[in-house]
Amino acid sequence: MESGTGTKSTYKNIKIFDQKNWISENLSYKKDDGSWAWILHRITGIALIAYLFLHIYSLSPLTQGEAAFNAKMATFASPLFMVIEWLLFAFVLFHSLNGIRIVIVDWADGAKYHKQLYRLSWVLGIILFLAMGALMFSHELKKLF
Amino acid sequence: MYKYKASKDTGSKSWVIQRITGLALVVLMIGHYILMHYHPDSGHTYQAVLARMQFSWYRIIDLTFIVLGMYHGLNGIWNIFRDYKLKPWMKLSILSALIIFGIAFTAWGFNIVFSIPYVN
Repeated sequence: MESGTGTKSTYKNIKIFDQKNWISENLSYKKDDGSWAWILHRITGIALIAYLFLHIYSLSPLTQGEAAFNAKMATFASPLFMVIEWLLFAFVLFHSLNGIRIVIVDWADGAKYHKQLYRLSWVLGIILFLAMGALMFSHELKKLF
Repeated sequence: MYKYKASKDTGSKSWVIQRITGLALVVLMIGHYILMHYHPDSGHTYQAVLARMQFSWYRIIDLTFIVLGMYHGLNGIWNIFRDYKLKPWMKLSILSALIIFGIAFTAWGFNIVFSIPYVN
């Protein structure tokens, strides 16, 4: 138990979170690799569940048969949407690789290497992102040449 | 009522399930992306979808994908809300909304998969 004496002076040195300026407090907070992993995991996670809702909605013309579906898909087959889908894969990759990192960190001794794992997930992510780009756009590129 | 239930639940089961579904989704998602994009038509034409849906196991994978994705995603959103100090009525409303949206969109997804006919 705490003795009680001297607690006041100790507390003076502790920086208290300023609730009213929570935005600037969060932005000025010193972030290491783990903080960035946490922030980006949340952002990509929210984006992916939003996309899942959108995905179910956008595939709903399947219930109306071939003509309705192909009309809807004509929009999504455009090069612009293909680039958007490719960028979405970056979100998928970050969330997947960082998710694997989280499992390794929680389980066994991963916490010792969590910063190395974070950097490794970026390296792997960029390689896989480019590989998916090659897979997705190889047919488009072949048409050009 | 809800308040007391929440204080007893440490969330350890939800934590494990979140990891298991997450790892399953990694596998499914990589497969999904490759399958949908190895050819420009594979993900974007009715004929390609119809051809795939003739295999029941493919339908089962899709249904599993929807359920796992919905659960993992909405549980993730719920975990974000749980990081903040919320009043019990807010928790209850948010959780109810997430469950209703989850069930509704999962049902919609199931309906879409089942609406695709088997052609002999």
